[in-house]
Amino acid sequence: MMEQIGKAKTGLQAIWILAVILLFAGLPLVLPLSWLSLLTEMLILALAACGLNLILGYAGMVSFGPAGLYAVGAYTTALFLVYTELPFWLAFVAGPVFAGIIAIVIGWFCVRLTHVYFALLTLAFAQIVHTILFEWYAFTKGDDGIVGIPIPLLLNSIPNYYYFSLGVVCICVALIWMIVNSPFGKTLQALRENPERTEFIGINVRLYQLAAFVLSGFFLGVAGSLFCGFNKNVFPAYAHWMKSTEMLVVCLLGGIYNFLGPIVGSLVYILLDKVITSYTHYWPLVLGLVVIALLLFLKGGIAGAFAEKLITKRQKAI
Amino acid sequence: MTIQGLIIQLLSGISTGMVIFLIAVGLSLIFGTLKVLNLAHGALYMLGAYLCYWISSALSDVGGSFWLALLFAPLIVALFGGLVEFLLLRRIYHRELLDQYLLTFALILVIGDLIKLLWGVDFHMVPIPWPLNGPVIFKGLVFPRYNLFLIFCGPVIFVGLWALMRYTKLGKVIRAITHSREMANALGTNVPMVYTVVFMFGCWFAGLGGTLIAPLTSAMPGMDMIILIECFVIVVIGGLGSLSGAFLGSVIFGLVNAFGILIFPRLAIAFGFILMIVILIFRPWGLMGKPE
Repeated sequence: MMEQIGKAKTGLQAIWILAVILLFAGLPLVLPLSWLSLLTEMLILALAACGLNLILGYAGMVSFGPAGLYAVGAYTTALFLVYTELPFWLAFVAGPVFAGIIAIVIGWFCVRLTHVYFALLTLAFAQIVHTILFEWYAFTKGDDGIVGIPIPLLLNSIPNYYYFSLGVVCICVALIWMIVNSPFGKTLQALRENPERTEFIGINVRLYQLAAFVLSGFFLGVAGSLFCGFNKNVFPAYAHWMKSTEMLVVCLLGGIYNFLGPIVGSLVYILLDKVITSYTHYWPLVLGLVVIALLLFLKGGIAGAFAEKLITKRQKAI
Repeated sequence: MTIQGLIIQLLSGISTGMVIFLIAVGLSLIFGTLKVLNLAHGALYMLGAYLCYWISSALSDVGGSFWLALLFAPLIVALFGGLVEFLLLRRIYHRELLDQYLLTFALILVIGDLIKLLWGVDFHMVPIPWPLNGPVIFKGLVFPRYNLFLIFCGPVIFVGLWALMRYTKLGKVIRAITHSREMANALGTNVPMVYTVVFMFGCWFAGLGGTLIAPLTSAMPGMDMIILIECFVIVVIGGLGSLSGAFLGSVIFGLVNAFGILIFPRLAIAFGFILMIVILIFRPWGLMGKPE
């Protein structure tokens, strides 16, 4: 009986997911181009936030510097495309791979620390990345950024790049879903709840944390590379902790203890940004007030609160 | 480089270090007692600088308007901080690091935009006040009198704060709460009130730093972010929550900056971070802190 309910539930979930993907795939037919590029931006932000949430929500490691690895991905792709004849696809893959390698180095030091010290160390490394991008003018063009990155003709239109992003983001989010539901993902959640006990049952906590950090860095790198192709320009600001905080706010907005939280969060964030900036220049003020209100009145984020309502409704029905 | 040049560089390094010390010590004090990393600390410092401009330009007909600003601007910042603590911060002490991070970050956005609303986005100059304008000339060394005043302020504040923590009732209560909040609470200390007082005190330091820096760099948007990151570096080097650590960290940071610029001008900012990383890896509790 339970098994049947479980199966029916998975079936229902699959239908929902398919419906959402189809909806996203159909949007270019009805939406104007400006909204489509906004949606591309949202998809990329959603992927970055999902990658961050892998360590934030699932492993309980609060990083203040995810933008550092995001920028490594973006700059790697950009530099390969500008300085070498490497085909776009290879340069695109090189971004996340290099971000993953840098994540191994940074993570190796960071997982030795906990709580606020872990957070501050990730921030310091991200600032180092920012400083390098900002000051190494001969290679990275410093504050001017790298502009006019050559993109293959096929991807050089807004709807085409939208479909490309949708495909990449769907694959990556599916991968993250598989990771968090694997034994590895369950172990991460166990060590979020209680690192000491997890260590007692024979888990190498640091190794698991490092693996999570590297995976998260890889997906942040994918998001960075995607954004590099989308914007065709990269700037040191991508590594700045304002960008890191944007990702953290997106995760919080949606809810970090819900798989869909970062995706919902990025949708709400981008829409808020679009709507509010059309009325006023004081977008940070409104964003600040929204974040304060969320923290005080909606603890689990939007997706979290929604899921909770759904659960209580079901309990009442039973 | 001549000996004179080196001494000038040394003095200017220490004088910027001393201003950052005022802000860092507030941050460290708040973290040590409340266990909250107050990201809005830089924004409060910026508020202090703008208030200094506002008061000293509004009273520019009156002599000594800067000194009135020095008296009132930090007080206003402290009152504002008290309001923030009472209305917002005390609701999230028991929450996770992430919630505290985001709440204090939201405050950066709100304070930054309020300052923009009130004073616009232009730079605002504050003249260096009498009698500190002009240089000091000593054996061929020419050094601004105001920077010398800053070098004097740092140790005075440090010793004053140390004495306060060591010898007054308030200091004892703060140390007790830092040691164990529950125990202090059980023994009848009004912990929430002490928290408000400590937070206001920390904010007062941020406002004081902002007021003192205004004549040097003028009040401008974005100054909050720069100082915040520098404060992080300092409190990590010295040890989060340690007063003497904040002092030592500020001196080291000021000197590394001043001499780093001479040797590798482009990488001077990175030195601070590298120092911070090295400390975090080998001695996360900082030079003067105690391991947990």
